[in-house]
Amino acid sequence: MQFNFDNFIDALTLMGVGIATVFAVLLLIIFLGNLLVSFINKYMPEEEPKQSAAGVPASSAVDPNVVMAINLAIGKLTGGKSKAEKIEKI
Amino acid sequence: MDSMFEKIYRMTAIDNLVYDPSYIIMILLAFFLLYLGIKKQYEPLLLIPISFGVLIANFPGGEMGVLAVNGVGEIFRISNEALGNGLGDGFQTVNLVGGVEQMSEGLVQVGKLFYDPMEKGNEILQNAALTSQIKIYEIWSMPLHDIAHEFGIMNYIYYALIKSGLLPPIIFMGVGALTDFGPMLRNLKLAIFGAGAQFGIFAVLLVASQFFTMQEAGSLAIIGGADGPTAIFTTLKLAPHMLGPIAIAAYSYMALVPVIVPLVVRLTCTEKELKINMKQQDKLYPSKQEFKNMGTLKIIFPIAVTVIVAIIVPDAISLVGMLMFGNLIKEIGNNTSRLFSVASNGIMNAATIFLGLSVGATMTVDAFLNWNTIGIVAGGFCAFGFSIFGGILLVKIMNLFSKKQINPLVGATGLSAVPMASRVANDIALKYDSRNHVLNYCMSSNVAGVIGSAVAAGILIKFLG
Repeated sequence: MQFNFDNFIDALTLMGVGIATVFAVLLLIIFLGNLLVSFINKYMPEEEPKQSAAGVPASSAVDPNVVMAINLAIGKLTGGKSKAEKIEKI
Repeated sequence: MDSMFEKIYRMTAIDNLVYDPSYIIMILLAFFLLYLGIKKQYEPLLLIPISFGVLIANFPGGEMGVLAVNGVGEIFRISNEALGNGLGDGFQTVNLVGGVEQMSEGLVQVGKLFYDPMEKGNEILQNAALTSQIKIYEIWSMPLHDIAHEFGIMNYIYYALIKSGLLPPIIFMGVGALTDFGPMLRNLKLAIFGAGAQFGIFAVLLVASQFFTMQEAGSLAIIGGADGPTAIFTTLKLAPHMLGPIAIAAYSYMALVPVIVPLVVRLTCTEKELKINMKQQDKLYPSKQEFKNMGTLKIIFPIAVTVIVAIIVPDAISLVGMLMFGNLIKEIGNNTSRLFSVASNGIMNAATIFLGLSVGATMTVDAFLNWNTIGIVAGGFCAFGFSIFGGILLVKIMNLFSKKQINPLVGATGLSAVPMASRVANDIALKYDSRNHVLNYCMSSNVAGVIGSAVAAGILIKFLG
């Protein structure tokens, strides 16, 4: 196995160019990212998220369809005499 | 009656298997890979299509193997009569891939025939009386329907989707759609380790340049980028005849990230370093950066990165551009949600199936059972290991000059393999300190590693292609 000097020099050059370029690109991306952050913070800040009117997130309320289904079931069992007043998760 | 039985026997793959038992080695290898994918669950989404591809490719007569070609894209079929193998009528495809070294020495013997590999479309053979005994196909310039007709459907899939370079960028689009640049944008500085961890690529290139041609060395080295599609894309441009073993090595080592990363970390990091708590460091030395509108930032970022990479390394844009496109349609949200869903699900999964099967099918006896493969497996491992080490080394150097200490695991994840490398790094950190969650920090360098390895691939293609 002979030492291939040409290939070695080529590979060494490529190593230098390659690593330098990869670093350059990622450094540029970091620089650009920071630039974008400050630009967006200055010119396009997001509006404060609005609190929902009732103060309680809508998801915690019981779905009207569920209420209807429960009432229908109770109605069937009790012959329409009773109705659910309060639905709670236990 | 006898001839009937003989015909039935010829119909089966048995006589070919008996004639060349090396097929059985490949079939056993397929079983082993299937075992790793199914039972050990090493990257099953990739390993199972690949290993099944290996399996179906290695039954002679099935025509499901992607044919190995020589450096100029020629395939040789020689009659059984000329080969003297006693397999009856018909032709055998003959391997000339291993003949790279013989090229400088002149004629290569193929069965009873001689071939001069330096001369494309060899005149000696075409004009000889033996013309009827040999068929030469120049597959790289054959129309696709001829390939399907002559070499079977798997070669068609391979040449239409892989050799054309179509699938790797398509998969990158899917990867982009599944990637969240949020952690990277929150810890932008850590993205630099995505560059440090490309060290292995170039270190192995240096060594491999002594054993392989520069193009082959480049393809081998890119395994250190720890990114399957990138490795395939680069190999297709530089040394397509090595695609099978390189793709398998790349995907196998990615599947072995839970083994390789801890190994390199154990060899190079102290316990004290691994206990560095990134959150505490953030509290001690808080960043001045605040994010008032992450949503908009995430939309503009992929566009900006595309422009930068396109300007500096245009050869990397087919990968990085598609990655960023996938990410953009994810971040835009509702208005492009239909595109996002098909890119990240339907297209991505279909592409993975075709890529896996046909890459597996390139692992035929001819392409795999030779010394090159051993060099690729060994070199690929070194590239992988050196890449992890490169990232760790960069952290150590930066820690020397900065008060704010960084956990070396963040460097180790600079090599693509998203998100597995980060998960593995997080597990290692938790082992030393159960409150030290480094996942988000690792994701920053991990995602940057995808860009880094695609850029490195672009450079290799530009200089060696």
